[in-house]
Amino acid sequence: MTQALPFEARIERDDARSAARQLRLPGWVVPALFLAPAFATLAAWIYWPLLEALRLSFYEWNLLPTTEPVFVGLDNYRNLLALAELRAAAWNTVVYTLGLLPLTVGLPLLIALMTREAVGRAGAVYRAIIFVPMIIAPVVVAVVWRWLLNPNHGIVNKLLEALGLPAMRFLQDADTAIWTIIFITGWKLVGFSTLLFAAAMTNIESSLIEAARIDGASEGQVARRIVVPLIAPTTIFLTVLTVLHGAQWSFVYINVLTQGGPRNATTNLYYLLWEYGFSTFAIGWSTAAGMLLFAAFAVFAAFGLSAMQRNDRHAG
Amino acid sequence: MRAESLAARLRSHALLTTLSLVAILPLYWMFVTALRAPNEIFSTVPWPENPSLANFTYILGGVPILRMLWNTLVVATLTTAAQLITALLAAYAFARWKNRWSQALFALLTVTWLIPAQVVMVPGYLLVTRLDMLDTLAGLVIPHAASAFAIIVLYQTLRAFPTELIEAAVVDGAGHLRILHSLIVPNIKPALASLAILLFISSWNDYFWPLLVTRSQESAVIQIGLQMFMTQEGNQWGPLMAASSLASLPLLAVYLVLQKRIVDSFLRSGLK
Repeated sequence: MTQALPFEARIERDDARSAARQLRLPGWVVPALFLAPAFATLAAWIYWPLLEALRLSFYEWNLLPTTEPVFVGLDNYRNLLALAELRAAAWNTVVYTLGLLPLTVGLPLLIALMTREAVGRAGAVYRAIIFVPMIIAPVVVAVVWRWLLNPNHGIVNKLLEALGLPAMRFLQDADTAIWTIIFITGWKLVGFSTLLFAAAMTNIESSLIEAARIDGASEGQVARRIVVPLIAPTTIFLTVLTVLHGAQWSFVYINVLTQGGPRNATTNLYYLLWEYGFSTFAIGWSTAAGMLLFAAFAVFAAFGLSAMQRNDRHAG
Repeated sequence: MRAESLAARLRSHALLTTLSLVAILPLYWMFVTALRAPNEIFSTVPWPENPSLANFTYILGGVPILRMLWNTLVVATLTTAAQLITALLAAYAFARWKNRWSQALFALLTVTWLIPAQVVMVPGYLLVTRLDMLDTLAGLVIPHAASAFAIIVLYQTLRAFPTELIEAAVVDGAGHLRILHSLIVPNIKPALASLAILLFISSWNDYFWPLLVTRSQESAVIQIGLQMFMTQEGNQWGPLMAASSLASLPLLAVYLVLQKRIVDSFLRSGLK
């Protein structure tokens, strides 16, 4: 961001100054006017709510306009950290995140590596089809999978029966529900990730790979030593994205399909915030848990960003 | 060598075909179920034996689904337009005036990436209530009138804009809005179109904020309407799949036409 940018040319600033002089305005007014619509909106709906949530996290309140929030200091935080429910939700958040990584990073990388061989004109068709889940609304995805996985009449269980396997209660069984939600979340993203890896791979100089082959490198070695290191930025990007947003992507599936159940098996921190906020109306707990989550995010994001920057520097 | 490459190509085709089937079969089944006659909903024949629109007429008669689709179209269009305009203005300012303050503000933009919607939902909800925008379309559009993602993407586009053109316009005495409107916008149309597609799809598919703001069927977007219907009549699979099909068809139709461009936009700018 500090490199010389086209727009930074001196003439631009002179121009800004002269325009301001004509209108007899201080130099900062025009830029401020250009930034105002965006930042006023962000301030009202993101920055201020974040500070307000921080304030509310020190109060006890039930969201009713007729009641006054009561200041309780750090009680909300103390209570939350002692709460088994929160620890279970935090653990599930980790399960969601780690469970998604194979679907958003591992498997797509593997498929992209194994399909590097040209598939000719069919490639465009595959690309168009594989991408489709990305543009389907999450609620539709949830409703359709609910039908497919229905214990009695869903086609998946009909197929299992036809194979002589017992029917599964995918979303109703506490042991399988979280994995089912992870699968559904990943189903929407696996194609996109694969295409992203494939796109990164087509940017690799083919002469590099040719040279390695002439030197006698096997396909596995080419993949491991050349392709994987060169697409590291994409791998890191998708990993950071999954860790930051993965558990959040599953929110809609949890809310539509299981409401956190059965027996809290599928709840995570995002869903817990939602429950505290809008079904039990424990505003202090919801906002305090939100602050803890945000703090955890900031720490992880700092690591993620520095990893990305380090990598950029290597890639030159 | 040739046999090996043939095997590799076959393997590629096999893998990609599998992945394509995994992507498309659930949606195929949605359409098939929607098109089945009501007494054949549980059939496992892979196509509708006696195709019928009964599920569609049922859902269109019982739920204001066209109204919901219209609401979604209005909200997504207005949100996209607002986000494009606020982002263009802000990106122009960031690209054109560089100092400590603008850099600090730009850094502040990236922070929004780290703030989950669930963390700021309570104050946001209270603000919507106070502004009397609960259960209105305005309550869905106005809070999303600016997108940090859009600003950052457009800033990257503007950074690459040739300075000579701007300088020439300045010499001609053009003001900022004029430069933006008659010089920059016409020249970055492809980038704007790509961004607009991304913003429109993500607004069309948005779920969390409408969940917070919507109360009635009449002001519901399709995502929420679909969930309302599912909660009421959860096991009416035929009508439910018909409603899901209707909810998906508009974007699928757009995708059919702009498929290459949509995929490219997503791959270039990534996820929101």
